[in-house]
Amino acid sequence: MIAVAAGTNRIDPYLIPALDGVAYGLLVFVAASGLVVCFGVANILNLAHGLLYAIGGYTAAALLDGGWASLALALAVGVLAAAAAGVLLAGLLTPVATGNHLSQALLTFGVALAGGSLLVAGFGPDNPQVQVPSALEGSVMIAGHRYAAYRLVFIVVAAVLAAALYLVVRRTRAGMLVRAAVDDPEMVACLGVSPARIRAGVLAAAGALAGAAGVLGAPIIGPGTGTADTVLLLSLVVVVLGGLGSMAGTLLAALAIGEIQTLGVALLPSAAPFLLFAAMAAVLAVRARGLAGRWRTA
Amino acid sequence: MPLTTPWRSRALTAALLAAVLTTSTACGDDAPGTSAGGPIKIGLLASLSGTYQAVGTEIRDGFQLYLDTHDGKLGGRQVDLIVADEGNGAQTAVPAATKLLKQDRVSALTGIVGGGSVAGVTPVLNETKVPLVGSNGRPELKDVSRVWHTSYLSDEPGAAIAQHVRDNVKGSVYAIGPDYQGGWDELRGFTDAFGKIGGKLANADGKTTFTPFPATTNFLPYFARIKASGAAAVYTFYAGSAAVDFVKQYAQSEIKDIPLYAAGFLTEGGVLNAQGEAARDIYSVLNYSPDLDNAENRAFVAAWKAKHDGSPTTYALASYDAAAVLDRAIGAAGSDPTPEAINTAIGQLGQIASPRGTWQFSTTTHSPVQKWYLRQVRQDGRALSNTVVGDLATVGR
Repeated sequence: MIAVAAGTNRIDPYLIPALDGVAYGLLVFVAASGLVVCFGVANILNLAHGLLYAIGGYTAAALLDGGWASLALALAVGVLAAAAAGVLLAGLLTPVATGNHLSQALLTFGVALAGGSLLVAGFGPDNPQVQVPSALEGSVMIAGHRYAAYRLVFIVVAAVLAAALYLVVRRTRAGMLVRAAVDDPEMVACLGVSPARIRAGVLAAAGALAGAAGVLGAPIIGPGTGTADTVLLLSLVVVVLGGLGSMAGTLLAALAIGEIQTLGVALLPSAAPFLLFAAMAAVLAVRARGLAGRWRTA
Repeated sequence: MPLTTPWRSRALTAALLAAVLTTSTACGDDAPGTSAGGPIKIGLLASLSGTYQAVGTEIRDGFQLYLDTHDGKLGGRQVDLIVADEGNGAQTAVPAATKLLKQDRVSALTGIVGGGSVAGVTPVLNETKVPLVGSNGRPELKDVSRVWHTSYLSDEPGAAIAQHVRDNVKGSVYAIGPDYQGGWDELRGFTDAFGKIGGKLANADGKTTFTPFPATTNFLPYFARIKASGAAAVYTFYAGSAAVDFVKQYAQSEIKDIPLYAAGFLTEGGVLNAQGEAARDIYSVLNYSPDLDNAENRAFVAAWKAKHDGSPTTYALASYDAAAVLDRAIGAAGSDPTPEAINTAIGQLGQIASPRGTWQFSTTTHSPVQKWYLRQVRQDGRALSNTVVGDLATVGR
């Protein structure tokens, strides 16, 4: 009896960080999946991916006014704007699309810098306030702990998004083409599907995912001057941890990052500055291909 | 090619250096502000771009407000104010300051947001023998003979509020702050003074918890530890976007009912608007609040509100006071207010009447000996505002 009580007490303080790790991890998943698809399928290293998220974040800050209608509007505008930015990026990338990662990195990094400056010029250097629907403003009680209502709802929404993404990739023609392009790009080209169209489609999808993450995740990783860098960094860590091959690997890596950033920090606050990168180094040392195998095994 | 390029660049540097030396000797006789009652050049360096743009703009506007309300004159002389952009830190601040000091040959320098920028500019000040009346950042300096600050030292807010927290909190206090020089100083000020008067920290190892800066955007894991520690109150210092994240997440977390005490920057200026309702009831300590009841402050706030939206911040106030200091010092420096004479005059000013209440320069640190106020975020008309709820200690050394 005493042992049980002591056990509960030992776990109890870490309940909320563990739950929050899921929220954070799912946000990282939705944000990073675009980059993974982009890199894994179109073989494009898109360093402007964080910018696409920031576009969604700033849209949320500009349009949200505490009502549900504004959330729907912000989501639509954010997704469209970021997807359009993705298509624009695909157009810019046409001359260097042949898999030269250095040229792609330079080009997209330049776009990220220029785009970041444009966002700051347009929205100002201060971090704008993001107003979630007033029904989600408060907090709820979970097992005797208080937790932000918005984050709880976000977990559900992001889980639905992740499931939808899985179904699209597994079950639809677009998803089949994408998977086919991973397995055998030449054969897909022979079938009469233009690689340029796949590229534009993939970057638009990546933009839409990042834009959705930016709008919905704005109350968690809010828009600001450093947002694009933060999201790009986290997405790259997802790529390293999860590999490029599978959706399951990406999800696993994103959730691991979420837990490391919350539960890990709660357990070992003194190690907080390097916990994430220590984990990354450990995974690379043990298994250089990431936590999971290839895409087709998912 | 690899051999010639460095030589050519060296030659270019030498040529430039020679040119600079020639110009400075040529200008040697024409020392600034020689004619009696003639105009005087003042340089203002502040972050007008980058991370600290909001603070830099307040500093520029505070100084300009003093000039506008005093016929554009300091010490009876028409002021030629030269404004330069400090950018994000020493890397951009030092070239900008060098231009002000060596090319524009200003008689005094003011402003400067970052402590790092001040540290970088100090050698140029000593070389040109021009005084700095800084209005914000103040690093640890060995030689302050030409450096004056109208702001505060980073460890003073915490030291000023320690006794109040000790008297009003029944139990231990959790100390948490950002992991960089400013955060260390702010938190050390509190924990040292708090420990001396018998206060106990709730932190697991009895030491302040520092969060990685600026990487930390999610404070929930730290809140879980605060909850588990059984703390009766929290003391913190954050500024800028970290302050917004901290306050918004605090208000939705499981420790939202634990009283939050902070250095005033947590809820000062633009961040308070971004925090909104989440900031309500937070206690903070600062050397200024726009609702202070004295004649100087009423005039200052009225003049500010006539030109700007919202109330003035401590940043604007410090810059306004820097202008007031220069006004009196230039007036006292006589018919030939050389930079040296102005510097000497600043040291003999004594009590300075200010919207924050009367203060004076400490003879050892050249920063203010001033009263600190306890403020609470409360409703003020339509908006939330920092309202003074009491006087705290007078601090300065």
